[in-house]
Amino acid sequence: MRKNSLHTLTGTWADRIILLSCLTLIAVAWLFIHALMASGPAQAAIYYNKTLLATYPLPQTGQASIHFEAMGKLGISEITIDQQGARITSSPCITQQCVLSGAHRHSGDMIACVPNQILVTIRGRSDTQFDAIAE
Amino acid sequence: MILTRPSLHELDKQARWLALLMLAIGLHLFEASLPSLGPWFKPGLANLVTLLTLLWMGPKAAVLLAITRVIVGAFFIGTLFTPTFVMSMAGAISAATVMIIAWRYQPAVSLIGISLLAAVAHMLAQFITVETLFIQQSALYYALPPLLLLSTISGWLNGALAMYIAARLP
Repeated sequence: MRKNSLHTLTGTWADRIILLSCLTLIAVAWLFIHALMASGPAQAAIYYNKTLLATYPLPQTGQASIHFEAMGKLGISEITIDQQGARITSSPCITQQCVLSGAHRHSGDMIACVPNQILVTIRGRSDTQFDAIAE
Repeated sequence: MILTRPSLHELDKQARWLALLMLAIGLHLFEASLPSLGPWFKPGLANLVTLLTLLWMGPKAAVLLAITRVIVGAFFIGTLFTPTFVMSMAGAISAATVMIIAWRYQPAVSLIGISLLAAVAHMLAQFITVETLFIQQSALYYALPPLLLLSTISGWLNGALAMYIAARLP
């Protein structure tokens, strides 16, 4: 059966069942998490490993931006929260993936610096539909 | 003790495995240099080589390739023995294990389904590793659904690509 299926790029019936199952589970989880996270005003929560360091509301247009220095395992991660969302502006980690990921403002978004054990999550309803991933 | 020269067949097999390893390492480095589509998301091209190795050379060669690829790739990127390396290793081993289980025990599943399951296992393993070892916050999992969706799509596409390659390079 597997050799016969080499003729097609659309997969077998079993593949399609797996795909459908995955998509269903993802959709249910996504809706559940969205309902859980999207209530209340938009805010950014900053964690170091198990510890919640700070929670800030996302500033609206005209409001001053917030700068926070989070002491992580390797050193200080600088976090800026402004109209565009929350972002890590500097980090002592090697890869700098957290800095490169840019600003995030959507409910459920997160920025994680694993080497420095810093996590920034966004929850609540954001007014601006800004897509940081596609930036 | 008499050292016997390896057979041509054995040498050919080793050369093919090394060629696949070089390809996997190259793709690993290429993926590391790509702009991020989300935390810890990669297109999974290096896992595609693991899948082809499983198809052509068996489970042992595939697992060995996955582990060696992560070690050598991390050495070149400069992340050897860092949390990024641990995540990468957990993802690669999980993906290879799921590939082998699906390959052995689910004959109705083609390379597309195997690749899809491996991509999902890879992403889940990374999240579980981070949540267990580095950032012990369940809030991490809130970002999982969109990343799993990307993994599902990339897993399907990589599986289709693996089928295309396997059909032309038996």
